[in-house]
Amino acid sequence: MSGDAVPSTSPGDADDTAAPIDAVALAIAGHPIPVASFGDFRTAARDLIVRRVPPESVQWSGSETPHGDLLSAGNAGLAPMLPAGLLEQPPAPQPRIPRTLMEMLQSAACYRAPDRWGFLYKIVWRWQLGQQEILSMADEDGARLQHMVKAVRHEEHDMHAYLRFRERPPAAGDPRFVAWFEPAHDVLPQVAQHFAKRMGKISWMIGTPEATVLWDGKRLHGTGPLMRSAADVEDSGEALWLTYYRSIFNPARLNADIMHGHIRTRFWKNLPEAAVVPHMVSQAAAGARKVGQLDTVGKRTGTTIPIAAEKAAPERQQPSSLDDCRRCDLWQNATQAVAGQGARRAKIMLVGEQPGDQEDLAGKPFVGPAGALLDKAMDEAGMDRRKVYITNAVKHFKWEPRGKRRLHKTPAQKEVMACHYWLETELETIAPDIVVALGSTALKSILQSGSVTMKDYMGQPFQHDGRWIVVTYHPSYALRVPSAEARHEAVAAIVEALKTAQRLADGEAPGKL
Amino acid sequence: MELNDKLEILADAAKYDASCASSGAPKRSSEGKDGIGATNGMGICHSYTPDGRCVSLLKILLTNFCIYDCQYCVNRRTSNVPRARFTVDEVVKLTVDFYLRNYIDGLFLSSGIIQSADYTMEQLVAIARELREVHQFRGYIHLKTIPDADPALIDAAGRYADRLSVNIELPTQDSVQRLAPEKSVHTIKLAMGNIRLKLDEKEAEPKAPKFAPAGQSTQMIVGADASDDQRILTTAETLYGSYKLKRVYYSAFSPIPQSPKSVPLAPPPMLREHRLYQADFLLRSYGFQVGELLPAAGNLALDIDPKLAWALANREHFPMDLNRAEPAMIARIPGIGLRNAKRIVELRRMRQVRYADLVRLKCSMKKIAPFIVTADYRPARDTTPSEALRRSMADVQQQMPLWPELQAA
Ligand code: SF4
Repeated sequence: MSGDAVPSTSPGDADDTAAPIDAVALAIAGHPIPVASFGDFRTAARDLIVRRVPPESVQWSGSETPHGDLLSAGNAGLAPMLPAGLLEQPPAPQPRIPRTLMEMLQSAACYRAPDRWGFLYKIVWRWQLGQQEILSMADEDGARLQHMVKAVRHEEHDMHAYLRFRERPPAAGDPRFVAWFEPAHDVLPQVAQHFAKRMGKISWMIGTPEATVLWDGKRLHGTGPLMRSAADVEDSGEALWLTYYRSIFNPARLNADIMHGHIRTRFWKNLPEAAVVPHMVSQAAAGARKVGQLDTVGKRTGTTIPIAAEKAAPERQQPSSLDDCRRCDLWQNATQAVAGQGARRAKIMLVGEQPGDQEDLAGKPFVGPAGALLDKAMDEAGMDRRKVYITNAVKHFKWEPRGKRRLHKTPAQKEVMACHYWLETELETIAPDIVVALGSTALKSILQSGSVTMKDYMGQPFQHDGRWIVVTYHPSYALRVPSAEARHEAVAAIVEALKTAQRLADGEAPGKL
Repeated sequence: MELNDKLEILADAAKYDASCASSGAPKRSSEGKDGIGATNGMGICHSYTPDGRCVSLLKILLTNFCIYDCQYCVNRRTSNVPRARFTVDEVVKLTVDFYLRNYIDGLFLSSGIIQSADYTMEQLVAIARELREVHQFRGYIHLKTIPDADPALIDAAGRYADRLSVNIELPTQDSVQRLAPEKSVHTIKLAMGNIRLKLDEKEAEPKAPKFAPAGQSTQMIVGADASDDQRILTTAETLYGSYKLKRVYYSAFSPIPQSPKSVPLAPPPMLREHRLYQADFLLRSYGFQVGELLPAAGNLALDIDPKLAWALANREHFPMDLNRAEPAMIARIPGIGLRNAKRIVELRRMRQVRYADLVRLKCSMKKIAPFIVTADYRPARDTTPSEALRRSMADVQQQMPLWPELQAA
């Protein structure tokens, strides 16, 4: 495993001064190529590929049998001959292995299988021949490669999850935490890095049957096996864990099969919590599952809390009657009703359609992108937002789910009519002289008619119920139109309408407009 | 009271909350730093209890004293359970100790409501603050937010926690009013909306102070009221859309000691919770809509999974030719997951997809066979009526109730 922080403990690496292995020479001689690490394999494989040595002609010996793979040693004399004339050929180009494949090879190299190096070489060889399908699960070798990678990752994951540290008494010095684990593949170096990140400057040691790593708080050190079994450390902290483990289990949901399906059997013997499982299961089966509670909790005397129901409820702002409105169904999927906002005695009232996504969360009208556009338009028209009253024809946001987003939906006329009650109330209290209808929903609400259309009223203020009505686009229409030009026109029309409203408010008769 | 006794009571009291995942936090490491803890973004289950649920976080209540009277909850004020309360330091110590021994990936803390929503929330925030600031703890923290608390406190919680959750608890406003009279759907929604606004702000302004990087989630209890699955999933869909939740957790109502008459005596079938989880996954990851999975009021089928149910109800899409179908549609074939759908699409760029390829991809052949066409295969049964197919494909084993004795009771 190149780049690992833990020095490999296998004999191949221990001898740093040894001359590099001449893989090609060994292959010619029919000897197995000794490989102790992924680095060794990489070098050897590169030399072999360059000399075009086919996989059938190479034997490998792996690190788990330091004295040579028995099988290949026995077969040494029978090594397939290299194809004649091979060495006379010009060398092949250096193999170019993409990173994803290199990472897969590196992972698969941790998989304990007697033929792992030979298999990996076959993969490299096939890749060099242009057989890209080895990356696919649908290829036989590809499937095996992926299977190995997956098994190694799985083992790493399990070791992250099911390794248990025990704390040594402070007087015993470093390492403060000790763990024992029996991994099925050579994943200790990677896993050690995981724990180095987790434990900061606290020292620890992990023993496995094959090797040991020690973290001194700064650096990882690797060595051969030091321990033979689970850490022989008394750790009183473990009792708390067992209490927690027993208590967080819900007997009403007993499903031991799933538990066993998740944690592989071979880990159980080193998990402290495994010891309490049989008792928990039998207890649950014997009746605790009826109440879902740990029986020791049930045996204690309990307390009810003496507080009157009225006192228990928190003081909340009384929901306004608007918040409680159920005149139509729109309240259901909205966060809150959004009332109008602005000056109490405003001369001008702007009426939009309905709150949007942002307005629904903030509880204020026109705060989203359409609000920003409206603000700009008001600025341009010389209208002071603080002096007007801004509201919507419909007070709850109507929408439809689109994945994780809310898609605005135009309110139906019956919702507009239901909600007109609230607009009416606002019109009465604010009593504006001029109402600007932003878009067709607003216009329909103001005129209480589903059949009116914008184009009949655009650009010409008219009187209705004793006030001036000015009609223009809704700002979000301007945001929606595709062409920049049309958008420009729409904004200009809104600005123009706001100016008209402002002039009317300033007492100019419409005739002079 | 001894720490051990408190732990017994306050873990027992916390186990009814289904949320547990520790994924979604940004990568953090303590290598070479003071303090402890790392996150890899993916989260790990550290153990499984005999209920088959994973332990990835220390899940406890700060206290199970509670002035609310939610009928489905074992800690309601009228319940006579043993009560306990941790100190801030005790929770911190337990978290750090458990973390160092590699039992957990972090803390999931919630609490009964004591004194007031603000007071309770302050305590929760104090624990997270002490873990992060005093102990420089870089593991995962999930805080259950008290919806009525001051938004400033929720803001503070989001600075320390990886995930915040506000539990909606029940799928309809009526049920909440009836079974959790002190709660208010209105304030729950407002709290969720407030968290979403903060998350949006942070997204728009990366330099803004950190806020709950693993997002927000919620939990719904299934089977404590009469809501059907369509109602439950519609509520979930609404919440996902409105508040950009990472997850909605479904927790089958568990029988509680001295259960009040307002809640059922028996739990719903556990399988219902699982089917909801599957359906929810289809909503989140496959682009299904509730209306497709459950076009009318009612529950999801228990004998077959929701994707198979959808396929059987929409036979006009099948059999689907794997060499031609839209990639998104391939993932809708029963027995083909997202990953295999991707692999099939990759493979067919190189060559025709054949039946044997699917076997090698370890697709569930029994399930997919009636729904696919490959270069060398066409189902003989593509006109078999859906009902007959369903009978042959139903998972008979799963039809049995999980607790026969309870269902009979
Ligand atoms: S949209 Fe209007 S009428 Fe409908 S519920 Fe909301 S406030 Fe009431």
